[in-house]
Amino acid sequence: MNTILRILSIVSLVLAWLILSFVFSPTIVPGPFAVLQAMWENVRSGQAFYHLYKTLFRVGFGLVLTMALGIAFGTAMGLSRRAEVFLESWVMVGLTLPAIVYSIICLLWFGLNDFAAIVAIGASAFPAVGISIWQGIKGMDTQLVSMGNAFKLSRGAIIRKIIFPQLLPHILAAMRYALGICWKICTTVELIGMSSGVGFMLNYWFGLFSMSQVFAWTLLFLLVMFAIEYLLFKPVEKRLTKWRNDVPIPLSA
Amino acid sequence: MIALKEVRKEYLQPNGERLRVLENITFEIAKGMFSSLLGPSGCGKSTILNLIAKLDRHTSGDISVNGDKIGFVFQQPRLLNWRTVTDNVALPLERDNSDKRGRRELAVKYLGLVGLSGFENYYPLQLSGGMQQRVAIARALVIDPDILLMDEPFSGLDEFTARKLRQELIRIWRETGKTIVFVTHSISEAVFLSEQILIVSQKPATIFKRVTVDVPYPREYGDLRLFEIETSLTRDFLEMNSER
Repeated sequence: MNTILRILSIVSLVLAWLILSFVFSPTIVPGPFAVLQAMWENVRSGQAFYHLYKTLFRVGFGLVLTMALGIAFGTAMGLSRRAEVFLESWVMVGLTLPAIVYSIICLLWFGLNDFAAIVAIGASAFPAVGISIWQGIKGMDTQLVSMGNAFKLSRGAIIRKIIFPQLLPHILAAMRYALGICWKICTTVELIGMSSGVGFMLNYWFGLFSMSQVFAWTLLFLLVMFAIEYLLFKPVEKRLTKWRNDVPIPLSA
Repeated sequence: MIALKEVRKEYLQPNGERLRVLENITFEIAKGMFSSLLGPSGCGKSTILNLIAKLDRHTSGDISVNGDKIGFVFQQPRLLNWRTVTDNVALPLERDNSDKRGRRELAVKYLGLVGLSGFENYYPLQLSGGMQQRVAIARALVIDPDILLMDEPFSGLDEFTARKLRQELIRIWRETGKTIVFVTHSISEAVFLSEQILIVSQKPATIFKRVTVDVPYPREYGDLRLFEIETSLTRDFLEMNSER
């Protein structure tokens, strides 16, 4: 049932696109076939792989940096009242500044290279992850920790067996969310300061007013996102939260 | 087995004042005995349990406990929802270096003892509140404790489930011969379960009275002898409250 609904939703989206492409000229809304053709050419020439690899490389390391910083900040703020007071304004500043500011600063500081892109991604995306982990720790069931103490579990065992499993769903949710942010920031950085990557190609074809190529790169990007979501995140999440999935939520009495 | 002598407990409050929770607590509990600490909510009964389990330190007085293996059952089941029932019961065993198979076998054995055979691979959220509390009891017993401490374990359950579990607790106690210290605010529960009842007064808590319940097991609900003790304990409670 859900699968049918999911397929229907995508089919209706493509249909809407098809109809719009008949209404508007190809320079405004190119049809699915023209876009697929452009995409196929990009794949055949190898361009798609090269630029996708560049973007994935930056997003991948950017995500690692984001998660590392986010978990470090979030854990410190969740466990220590002092760290919470001290770091809260930092996180707020981090959340407020537009990603483009980080991108410009990093490109000016580190030059037009991958390192700048990765730092820009990490700096702009980590506050959101930090807040999620912070709230996760605050909302944790401390009674379970005192249960662990009552059964004389070691500190390490309590962290590994009681605290971490409670944080895991928060970390997973933060990671999915962070991936989305990292993609967006990465394209921005590539657009303003890189000579490779999906963002760079979008800018390039924007300069040439080629709408079908802009659509082709966007679609490629979307397909990769979907693949990561459904082939990686969903199965991992399903496995790790099996204990929850089997229980229906009784909304109506 | 367990002896407390003139035990005092004070907490330092955030405003710098000292809050005296326990005042001169003295009692003894013999090995294999079923004792209840009976008193109003928030009087410091749980603090006494924590002191016996060495989870907290007393301010003055002497506490001597024979045996350092202590099983704890809380008011809420406090299970790890992401672990199966068997793995929950096996949790306290994981600090020893025993093999995983041995731990599982032991956990399954104790699940049988609390009447949960067939539910070994369930997750806690798939069980009712009463069944979750049975899991918690199995988890406390799996380490073969010298003492079983129970902190209002049935007060979150409906009366029918609680009655059933009380009868089963008595069966398990008689089968295993554990020393049990049971905290409750229910007079009838204390009378039904215990050989000895220690009545704890309001904060700062003292032992107001010690009562022995000389009715043989297995006891029946509605037994007149239990009812009489209940009535006299109720009178004691009224007297205790009017003194303060």
